[in-house]
This record gives sequence, C-alpha cells and structure tokens, in this order.
Amino acid sequence: MKIIIVCLSALMLSGCAMFTKYLPAKPKFPEPVKELTEPCPHLETIKGDQIAITDLLKAVVNNYNLYYQCSLKNEGWNEWYKKQKEIYDKVK
Amino acid sequence: MSQLIWMIDLIPNWFWTLVLWAGIAALAASYVLGKISFVAQYRIPLRIGGVLAVIVGVYFFGVIANEEKWQARVEELQRQVREAEVEGETANERLGQALEDKKTVIVEKGKEIVKYVDRFKDREVLKTVEGPERVKIEKVIEYVEKCPVPKELVDAHNQAAVPPTGDKK
Repeated sequence: MKIIIVCLSALMLSGCAMFTKYLPAKPKFPEPVKELTEPCPHLETIKGDQIAITDLLKAVVNNYNLYYQCSLKNEGWNEWYKKQKEIYDKVK
Repeated sequence: MSQLIWMIDLIPNWFWTLVLWAGIAALAASYVLGKISFVAQYRIPLRIGGVLAVIVGVYFFGVIANEEKWQARVEELQRQVREAEVEGETANERLGQALEDKKTVIVEKGKEIVKYVDRFKDREVLKTVEGPERVKIEKVIEYVEKCPVPKELVDAHNQAAVPPTGDKK
C-alpha cells in the first residue's frame, strides 16, 4: 500500500514536468525603415552626340552620389538588423 | 483531451482544496476512529478513498501552482514583447532620421561638386573672377570647349552604367 502511494505520488508530482508548453506570446516581426525598402536607382547614362567633358564628369559625379545613397541603405539595413536583433534577444 | 482539460478548468480551485482536506480527514478517521464499530466497518474504503483524494488533491494543487507560475511567465513575456515593440519602433525612427541626415549630406556634396563643374561650362563666370584664378578657369573652359568627349568613350561609360541583364535565380 505504502509503495503504491509513494509511486503514485511521485508520478503525480512529476506530471507537470512531463509536458512542454509553448508560450502564447510571440514578438511581432519588426517593420523596416521605409527608406530602406526602396530599391536603389539605376545609374545615370549620358545622352547626346556632342558631349563636353564637364557633362561626362557631372554624370560620373551623379553616379558616385547614387552609389553613396545606395551604400547608405546597405549600411542602414545592417544597422537595423543589429539593433532589432539586440532588442529581440532581450525578450526571454 | 483538450475538452477534458477545458472541463477541469471549469472546476473552481477551492474544490481541490476541499478534496485534499477531505482525503486527509478520511485517512485520519480510518486510523483514529477505527475502533468505533460504525466507522470500523468502512475503515478500508475510507482509507482507499482518502489516499486517492489526497493524491488527486496534491496533483491539482500542483496543477494550480504550475498554472499560476505559467500565467505569470506569460504576462512577463507579453510585457517584454510590448516593450520590445515600442523600443523597435523608436530605434526605427532614430535610424530613419539618421539615414535622412546622411542622405542630405551626400546629396548636398554632390550638388556642390556639380555646381563647381558647371563653372567651367559658361564664360560668364570669368566676369566674376580676377587674377590667377581667372586664368586658370579660362584655360579649363578653353579645354572643355575644344575637346568634346569621343562618342566611343561615352558609349563605354553608358554600357558600364547599365546593369547587367544576367539570369536571376
């Protein structure tokens, strides 16, 4: 009788630990910054027949500018990921 | 199974306290009052019933305690999630502002350089500059006017500026 009681009690008391529950709360996937979702524009081409060196240079400067704007988005995505991961990892 | 759990959830917590105490009382009665003839004839059923009631009572005490612990954990997690969402929004706003500021700097720098290059397109600028600076600008303007870029070089530039059209995976 005593052995049965001890065994039953042990089984009963261990019952709660036998099930794995999943928490009914999940962090919402963070929305990115709107500017980051815009695609990088195509580089500028030069139109016309008589092209002065200044026009070529301006096109090159504008393209450098577009590159740096696009590079900024890449940098922004990295920064966004790093920060959001940091925040997400805090939820335990 | 879930229906059974749902039905058990409807039973108030005090009922399990009552079951546990009833079990303890039945066990005690089976031992203490076993000598009284009326109780003695129910001694074994009382003892078995008492043991079962104590086991069930203890089990549901565990369930209640576990549930309370679980609910506290859920509330804590929900609070953390809410905080994380607010923090994420704030971080996004900050990042958006920082990106906007940097973009402004880049665009402004580009405009300044284009403006500087444009000086060499028009001879009008020579009216506003004097001395060696004027000579320098005049030389550059002369060079710009005399030397248009060959079409082949412009085409090469344009080809490089157009994105490659390979098959995307």
